Amino acid sequence: MDCRNFKDLLDSYLCEELTVETNHAVLRHAEHCGGCRSEMAARRQLREALRRACSKEAMSVEACERLRARLRAEARSGVLAGGSASGVASLWRRFVDRFLSLRFGVPATAFAALLILAGGAFGLYLMGRGGESGNPQVDPTPRAVELSALLMDEAAEDHRKCAVKFVNNAVLATLPDSIKTLDPAYVDLDKALAEGTKGLSLHSAHVCGFGARRFAHLVYTRDSQLISLLMTERDARAMKPGALPPNAAPADDGSLSGLQQTSRDNFALGAYQTAKRVVLVVSNLPEAENKGLAERLAAPVAEHLRRAERQVSWERLNPRDLMASLIRF
Amino acid sequence: MEENDKQQRLETFEAEALGFAGQLFRVALRVCRDRGKAEDLVQETYLQAWRSWRRFELGTNLRAWLYRILFNVHYSGLRRERLELVPFEETIAETIAYDPPTPQHLTEEEVLMALERVPRDFQVPVVLADVEELSYREIADALQIPIGTVMSRLHRGRKLLRMELADYAREAGYQIVN
Repeated sequence: MDCRNFKDLLDSYLCEELTVETNHAVLRHAEHCGGCRSEMAARRQLREALRRACSKEAMSVEACERLRARLRAEARSGVLAGGSASGVASLWRRFVDRFLSLRFGVPATAFAALLILAGGAFGLYLMGRGGESGNPQVDPTPRAVELSALLMDEAAEDHRKCAVKFVNNAVLATLPDSIKTLDPAYVDLDKALAEGTKGLSLHSAHVCGFGARRFAHLVYTRDSQLISLLMTERDARAMKPGALPPNAAPADDGSLSGLQQTSRDNFALGAYQTAKRVVLVVSNLPEAENKGLAERLAAPVAEHLRRAERQVSWERLNPRDLMASLIRF
Repeated sequence: MEENDKQQRLETFEAEALGFAGQLFRVALRVCRDRGKAEDLVQETYLQAWRSWRRFELGTNLRAWLYRILFNVHYSGLRRERLELVPFEETIAETIAYDPPTPQHLTEEEVLMALERVPRDFQVPVVLADVEELSYREIADALQIPIGTVMSRLHRGRKLLRMELADYAREAGYQIVN
């Protein structure tokens, strides 16, 4: 066994996934090779650190209690299954469950396809209606809800850790189409902003994560200044606790609202939101300049999201949602 | 009578299965990247598990069974996304020929951040193997992918993690001895 072999097998060795013979071969190699011995120690430490780090995340007490309560409620309702009065309801629920879990054969699939077709037509109808301008029932501007400090921290940290890392990276300057599996609105974001970012040079366009959050991240520079444009989901964690829930926003047509400004360390942050997303401009620029840039980008971002939303509403149609919405009727 | 029986079954279920909630949550968090969604996923997993509890044979591997349900629930929620690697991430992983030495002295926070940067399709098997200590076979069952795929994802996932860590180590000014 050589060092390369050893390193390939090392993790499986630590997981106790090797045969007795291979185990021995690994150990024999480690006996003779100091470098590989210390690599083994390092990987063992890494495993430990990983386990400790991940173990810190615990489910909240409230969530545990909710879980118990749900189980008990489920068990109680299940007691009556087979009884004549509630039998129908329970049968119906089981039918729906079976459907939603999508674990069935051909006839049901055919039925599902039918539902999708029907749903598609319905979706088209809705899209047609949505396209009408001046629909009185829809308020076009989502209410700007105060964003959480957590989100600002995450954005600033992502700028600090990630933008710096990618600034010398000339490999990937445009977002690949494949990112649409993450969020279709990320597609071509860089191109949409080309006009508004004249004078800045684009260094990287990628998707990155910070903590549990994902950002579409465009890294720009101007002279020695570093600028990040970040786009992320407008979920509950992005909102200031106690602020309106994210679904309180009425329309989802990419309208932007409420530029909010703050700073973290030496970074200026400007953030605005649509019904589904938050867009942040983070940079080392002076606050006023950062604000100016954020304002300049507001229109193209809004336009881009509007277009993306319209395309997405089609692509997003997924059988489970459709059935769920049909069943609700 | 029947009520009592049901109550007893629920108690057995809770005693046997609820102890794994913490572990399921940790994995759910890696999968969903959002606490609220992760809690929902765990809850749904337990509801499904309870509904199939009759079919579970006591004495067989309960934890692996729960993980399988968790990924089932997760996948049926996003059918389309299932096992579809984002191609450019696949490419990134393919192009790593260099295997960096494992840096030491990194904080747990740095390890966690590096882990977050590993694409999910590689990250999840690594967490299942190295944190939750599932066997490769159990991971293959849980994720419903062939064991060979599990092994290649683990291999690349761990390599990507080490590369991210090496980046952090360099940034932090640690010397990496090759």
